[in-house]
Amino acid sequence: MSDTLRVHISALEMKNPVMLASGILGSELSSLIRISSVAGAVVSKSVGLEKREGYKNPAVLNRECSLINAVGLASPGAEVFAEKLRPFHESYRKCRGDKTHLIVSLFASNPEEFSSLVDFFPFASAFELNLSCPHAERYGMALGVDGDAVRECVKAVKRRTEKPVFAKLTPNVTDIVEIGKAAEEGGADGVVAVNTLKAIAIDIVSRKPVLSNVRGGLSGKAIKGVALRCVWDLYEELEIPVIGCGGITDWRDAVEFLLAGASAIQVGSAFYYSYRAIEGIVEGLRQYLIERGEKVEDIVGLAHR
Amino acid sequence: MYWLKVKKVRKFAEARTVEIEFDRDLRGYPGQFVMLNVPDFEEIPLSLSSPKTVTVKAVGETTERLLEITEGESLGIRGPFGRPFSLPRRSCKVYLVAGGIGIAPINYLYQAIKNFIKRTGIDIDITVIHGVRNEKEIVYEYPEMKVATDDGSMGFKGNAVELFLRVLSKSSNDRVGVRVYACGPRPMLKALYGVVKDYGLEAEFSLESYMRCGIGVCGSCVLGGYRVCSDGPVFGVMELEEIFGDQKSKMDGS
Repeated sequence: MSDTLRVHISALEMKNPVMLASGILGSELSSLIRISSVAGAVVSKSVGLEKREGYKNPAVLNRECSLINAVGLASPGAEVFAEKLRPFHESYRKCRGDKTHLIVSLFASNPEEFSSLVDFFPFASAFELNLSCPHAERYGMALGVDGDAVRECVKAVKRRTEKPVFAKLTPNVTDIVEIGKAAEEGGADGVVAVNTLKAIAIDIVSRKPVLSNVRGGLSGKAIKGVALRCVWDLYEELEIPVIGCGGITDWRDAVEFLLAGASAIQVGSAFYYSYRAIEGIVEGLRQYLIERGEKVEDIVGLAHR
Repeated sequence: MYWLKVKKVRKFAEARTVEIEFDRDLRGYPGQFVMLNVPDFEEIPLSLSSPKTVTVKAVGETTERLLEITEGESLGIRGPFGRPFSLPRRSCKVYLVAGGIGIAPINYLYQAIKNFIKRTGIDIDITVIHGVRNEKEIVYEYPEMKVATDDGSMGFKGNAVELFLRVLSKSSNDRVGVRVYACGPRPMLKALYGVVKDYGLEAEFSLESYMRCGIGVCGSCVLGGYRVCSDGPVFGVMELEEIFGDQKSKMDGS
């Protein structure tokens, strides 16, 4: 029974294909550890070289089947964050037997910066490159809309480490497959599709934008169809695995993403509804597969046939 | 987010504190908080001090601005959020221990327990212990109150935890029927937790942590693996053991 959900993504063997998405509950070691008891892997909050305050509150708002956020890549900086996360595997082994991977998400404004971040995290199982945050100038999406920049950033990190490197892509582009191919050419071991959609919310009483940064990123159920389409297209064109992300709230959503071509999935905004979001998805998915005598790998991309 | 008008403002000038009453019940519970949106200022979390009020001490930009709030102004609210205190349901001895502005949620809890006693006739004996820097900082008073001041200007000279220990050791109560509810600065709560643990008392503490989303997703407020905004801000002894025991957590104030 424990084999039903086991998956391989590049060099990572995960106990299940459900990962904690970056930016959700990933700023502290203790919450990463708690969630790692149920997730196949956890992705940390994105970290950069220097400390960043992020944007003032209001930075997150929930409404209409979605979250909109402009947290602004708040981070204590690589050195401090590495100290926080370093005990991950020791602490984890104390509580449970089955290993969960810690994937560190990195943000930077150029390939050299990305590369220099790698050495801070020797304990990371893999790296995820934030080429897609839509509300921080010079970072994230600023690079992610440019195929050449994406290729170079991935290349620079791959030169620095033998660990798997995933590129998290932005949906705010005309052709996400072009960007995905650029990541693949740079040597990426997988792409994560997708990060948040550029969005705004306006309060009709104050008649002002709600977020202090005005513009933010939309996530949650409302973006599922968009994310699913990105996964579908990337699966058709890329050789490397696609990790699906965007609006996955229950196990049915997870199955849809796997059928669309995702080899694994990430869950973030669903935590707004329940702290046990990942638990529910894992158990629902397990049941769905057991009933059909299938494993995860059997259904990846099946909807394309 | 919704908007409420400020109906009444009670200023405690010397304490640099203001009690803001809204034009309607926020439909929350003692121990819960709201994310308060002050136009053009940073949105901040504030504990409810009663069904319709928040009590604010000026410690930063937004709270300084709130000292000047006037009746008729509108404020944006998200919430109430968070896990509230659980009321005692049977006869027992209750200590409400507050440090500084921690008296705000304790005030709400006090009212709720008094109402419960009135409704049910159940015998609950309350003692309120409030620790402040000096007598100027007292904003709420209760018949069952004992005050601790750092400078000795009123009541016991010392802090809330020292006063609590003194009162507890002098009391003849059976430890089994004792409940401690507390809210205050983290070092105070950590010290108080030590006492609660030593004496084997039931307890619920309201904790504080830097908050961004307030709704349990961003992880900024996490202590000991728990989200203060959603799993808390009220925590019981089992969770407090993990929170105060977590060596790598932010309990050292970092």
